Amino acid sequence: MTHLVQVLLLGITLGGMYALMASGLTLVFGVMRIVNIAHASFMMIGAYISYWAFKLYAVDPILSILISMPLMFLLGLVIYKFLFFKITGSPRYGELTVLLTFSLALIIEGILGFFFTNIYRSTNPSYATDSILFGPFYLPEGQVYATLSSMGLIVLLWTFLLTTRTGYAIRATMQNRAAAQVVGVNVELVSMVAFGIGIALAGASGSMIAYLFPFYPAKHWEWIAVLLSLIVLGGMGSLIGALIGAFALAISSAYVSFFVGPTWASVTFFLALFLILLIRPQGILGKKMEG
Amino acid sequence: MAFLEVENVTAGYGNGPDILKGLSLKFEQERTYCIIGPNGAGKSTLFRVICGLLHPRKGRAVFKGEIISRLRTEEILRRGISFVPQDRSLFPDMTVRENLRMGGYILKNRRELKDRIEEVFRMFPILKERSSQQAKTLSGGEQQMLATGRSLVLRPTVMMFDEPSLGLAPKVAQGIFECIHQLKNEGMTIILVEQNARKGLECADWGCVLDLGKNRFEGPAKKILDNPRIQELYLGRKPQDRQEDTA
Amino acid sequence: MSGNSISHETVYLGNTGAQKKPLFRAKNVFVIVLISTLFLFPLLQLFTGNINYWLHMLLYTFMYIAMASSWNMIGGYAGYVSLGHNAFFAIGGYFSASLLAYAGISPFLTAPVAGLVVMAFGFLVGLISLRTSGPAFIISTIAMVLLIKISFDNWDFIGGADGISLPLIQLHIKWVKIPFYYGMLLIAMGAVYISFRIRHSKFGLGLRAISQDETKAEVAGVPTSLYKILAFAISGLFVGMAGGLWGYYLTYLRPTIFLNIIVAAKLVLMSVLGGKDTVTGPVVGAIIFIAINECFRTYLGFTELNIVATGLLMVLVLLFFPQGIVGTLKELGKLPQILDWD
Repeated sequence: MTHLVQVLLLGITLGGMYALMASGLTLVFGVMRIVNIAHASFMMIGAYISYWAFKLYAVDPILSILISMPLMFLLGLVIYKFLFFKITGSPRYGELTVLLTFSLALIIEGILGFFFTNIYRSTNPSYATDSILFGPFYLPEGQVYATLSSMGLIVLLWTFLLTTRTGYAIRATMQNRAAAQVVGVNVELVSMVAFGIGIALAGASGSMIAYLFPFYPAKHWEWIAVLLSLIVLGGMGSLIGALIGAFALAISSAYVSFFVGPTWASVTFFLALFLILLIRPQGILGKKMEG
Repeated sequence: MAFLEVENVTAGYGNGPDILKGLSLKFEQERTYCIIGPNGAGKSTLFRVICGLLHPRKGRAVFKGEIISRLRTEEILRRGISFVPQDRSLFPDMTVRENLRMGGYILKNRRELKDRIEEVFRMFPILKERSSQQAKTLSGGEQQMLATGRSLVLRPTVMMFDEPSLGLAPKVAQGIFECIHQLKNEGMTIILVEQNARKGLECADWGCVLDLGKNRFEGPAKKILDNPRIQELYLGRKPQDRQEDTA
Repeated sequence: MSGNSISHETVYLGNTGAQKKPLFRAKNVFVIVLISTLFLFPLLQLFTGNINYWLHMLLYTFMYIAMASSWNMIGGYAGYVSLGHNAFFAIGGYFSASLLAYAGISPFLTAPVAGLVVMAFGFLVGLISLRTSGPAFIISTIAMVLLIKISFDNWDFIGGADGISLPLIQLHIKWVKIPFYYGMLLIAMGAVYISFRIRHSKFGLGLRAISQDETKAEVAGVPTSLYKILAFAISGLFVGMAGGLWGYYLTYLRPTIFLNIIVAAKLVLMSVLGGKDTVTGPVVGAIIFIAINECFRTYLGFTELNIVATGLLMVLVLLFFPQGIVGTLKELGKLPQILDWD
């Protein structure tokens, strides 16, 4: 029994991080219908930023999101401008976005690999390996901090979306792009900002996983597969769905990891994905999804 | 110079063919127009050009003497032209109030926006009742009301309706036409595209027949209704036949 | 677009009356000459110095021609972009490799079976994956690859992550590449031929209707689900066969070699570069891509830069050249007859 609860706790502390990663990805898909295969490679950039900030200037990895987020936001704006402005309105838009972001992922991977080589790295703040004990249970300290910060960012994101004028515009564009245009929303600008925010969130996630999971440039393929499963499960484009998907899968993978073995944990995600496609192709909370 | 005018407009989407092919139309203030024509005639495209969602390839749209066909939608809304698109086109997961708030998206003053939303609620009390419901839970007629109300938030002088009665039960549709009538009496300029051409023309002063991207015929709405050739080509069967299948 | 292609088809099929000897039309002659040349090419090994490098490059190109043409059946004709075809490649490879390692049966015999096995696998996956479309389908194909990768990494029977080593083929160094050369050549010919046949069949027409507008295709009576799943399965056939031979050629198999996402990326890039939805596009794309890649490898060296270059090339082609070489030339009316098989 203790074991079961312990595993649940571990799953929850992972879930918050997954939720942040999935939120950025969902935001970008929801607003622009871009399936951002490069999301996890942006996370890798965030990871390297926090790695070097820690190594060179001893900046705390969680605080380093204050550096990585603005940088990644700007990078997002530039990339959106160059890659996606041209293709809006193309009849093969959905497919093009996947292929373009896929190429983008290759480019980022190659560039990171060129500069930082393919060795495993990991940031090592003091709390990375400590645990918080209470009663018969323990919680990995680093994981707790990361999940709490992630949840904090998610709350910020939601407040932004629910209260500000830009937030309204972003949600409106997610729900009905044509109607948003009709009421005078500059959807191109909104898309650019939303893309920037999505990438900034990826950067933040990356900074936090940098001290929890060793990384190298090509690691992003493993992450993106997990994240894509999450958002398909959540019904692509639904932020709440992404949150539910993130926690559900984090917890189930924690159990699989405990009962079957850690190597099989990520299988959970893909099996869940296929299961979902089999039973309910539109995801938990999704409507019909098409390019 | 007409109040609102499109001159020689040629327009189409992306690299696609021209949908409008040198279309010219004039709209006078405080009158109601009904545009009819078969599918693909360019009716919706005309609206998209006027409200700045689509920039014409050739020609221009002029409103109160100012060329508006290069302006962004936001700037056109500010000048008093509103558009209620086909299929209602709401924000399904937002509440009724939030939808109305989006209608006033271009207003920066929150106080003013609030007043105007109340104004819309006075006009459509049912929307007030449903103000915290999500738009997707509304019935078809309520959705059309919300879409209309959303455009009214900006207090436009010109309103364009694209197929307002589409997919609505006849009774509900009747309500919508009454509402359009009311707006007309308040002195608004209304341009209507209606698949139920007969109904649309009955509620309009002036009618235009659009086909293949060109203005084929225009005249007083009554005349169009009575013109046997137009009846045959664009209005379908006679009213007495029609009643049978609604029964 | 479709009207245009239909007229092409009638021109092609309508050659019974006006042209009485269709076999000797310029482009048929070209194909016969090309195939004969390729069949005779290894004979040079007898007369000139060692041409193993060229044999290697050619058989590698044949392999990618086969795979890109196969990819095009689902990704081009039906418009369902798959980023998971390397799963087919891996399954084919491991199937033949296991039979060689444990039962001693030559992959030259088992490769066709591997193709059929992969086809069956593709059919099963297709039943699930093809319930979705657009981005969700692409994601499901990526997930398929990663699922296979994790399974293979942890499956001791086939060596897990360390992989499996195979005995060398018992031939003198001078001849060692030749059976593979012919094998891959036959696979490539088979793939291109099937691709051509599909393109000119009712099945192909149905697939292309799906790519244009699936709902309309369904309404018009195209059995869309069945067609998509069949196309997905058939596109696995030659990829599986190529995998079977390639594993033997390398003499060792590791999941990272076969299940590298770059392999899938290459198939997409080759097809898009040459021109999706055309018969010759993937062929042209494969040849050009491999040529460019070989230059990069020679002059740049770094594999990382190679990845960057692949990505950049892909972005440029997608943004500025989405019809690909064959597609663009065709649109301009400048496509040489010999490349026009649509």
